[in-house]
Amino acid sequence: MIRLTPRLLALIPLAVGINLAMGKFAAATSLPLFLDTVGTVLVAVLVGPAAAVVTGIVSQTAFTILDGKLMWMAFLPVQLGVALYAGWVARLGVFGVAWKAVVSGLGLGLLAATLSWPIAYFVFGGVTAGGVTVVTTLLTAVGVPLEWAVYGASLSNDLLDKCVTFLLVYVILRSLPRRMAARFPGVERARSGP
Amino acid sequence: MILGYNPGNGLLHRAHPFTSLVLALAVVILAFGLPTPTGPLFLIGALAALALAARLPRVLVTAFVFALPFWVFLVLLHVVFGDAPTRAVTVGGQITAILLGFLLALVSVHPARLVDALLQRGISFSAAYLMAATLQSVPRLRDQARAILDAQRCRGLVVRGSPWRRVRAVVPLAIPLVLGALAEVDERAIALDARAATSPGRRTPLDPPIDSTAQRVVRWGLVVGPIAVVVTRLVS
Repeated sequence: MIRLTPRLLALIPLAVGINLAMGKFAAATSLPLFLDTVGTVLVAVLVGPAAAVVTGIVSQTAFTILDGKLMWMAFLPVQLGVALYAGWVARLGVFGVAWKAVVSGLGLGLLAATLSWPIAYFVFGGVTAGGVTVVTTLLTAVGVPLEWAVYGASLSNDLLDKCVTFLLVYVILRSLPRRMAARFPGVERARSGP
Repeated sequence: MILGYNPGNGLLHRAHPFTSLVLALAVVILAFGLPTPTGPLFLIGALAALALAARLPRVLVTAFVFALPFWVFLVLLHVVFGDAPTRAVTVGGQITAILLGFLLALVSVHPARLVDALLQRGISFSAAYLMAATLQSVPRLRDQARAILDAQRCRGLVVRGSPWRRVRAVVPLAIPLVLGALAEVDERAIALDARAATSPGRRTPLDPPIDSTAQRVVRWGLVVGPIAVVVTRLVS
């Protein structure tokens, strides 16, 4: 069980705010991105996976409440998977080099799609967020079986989304002023590895 | 259309916050536990009657608007391009029922009353603060994101063009938002420390919501009833 220090209590709501505010930028650029895990990945890198898990839980709960759709809580395992994976790869130092961050982001995309596919298919009958469902419908219209259409749509979206998310966190870590970076124990490790 | 707490004095507004929340959770279990496709449709009817009795008819409009895209895509996937209309009705009914149950709780439970009720039951202040602070932070950071977007556009940032150019445009938008948020951490941590936010001692809410035996009975009914439905279906 993680001990919630005042610093963590201050950081987690802001990280969740980042998760839910980044969608504005994705919408402005008209890219098929969610960018709703940037804050979770950032906490995983700055503090560790346990704090990121708490961020993921709070983030999914807040999103559910603000969006008014309780069904989104079904996707909580995706946030938890993102938190644990990001915490693990951060310890390997993947955020020190851009290409390693991109490759790790692709790995996260694969994991996220694999976690979200059964939820989208079995619980929602293949219908979830707007953009992904449009791709699912198009794939189904050209004859792809529904289960593969759902996975294909999730995969295409998550690979791009998580790749950009990791690249963004890499750039953020490089942009952190030294004084700010020194306050978070995970920054140096994420840049240089164990 | 309404979303978020809406003041009123109807049946659900007067209820203890836990009663409304337990109702929303009971709806989730019943939506999947009742026989399909009629069960979820019956549940929608019962919740619509409750919404009218609780003087919250606008919740029905919100639920309809939220559920409509799901129904459209379910019909496209399972009826137009597939051959499973029963699945479309089942999933659509389940989603609509869950939406309606949750919206009724969301509209009738004031967040501050919920926090007081949780504190009264002994939940740690840290957990209550985490949720309350998050719900306050999100609109503020969304406003900041909008301001950063406008400012960077004024400075000549182009958010259109090739996909790579658009991905690169996200960087000058995200950096100020994230660094600004991280710069706040220390200030907030000091304020929380000064208020003994992580102290393990139990806090006493000033004006906790009033609970009653009748409401406790209703809550137990909402827990036991849906579980009994699921068990009965599994056994039979």
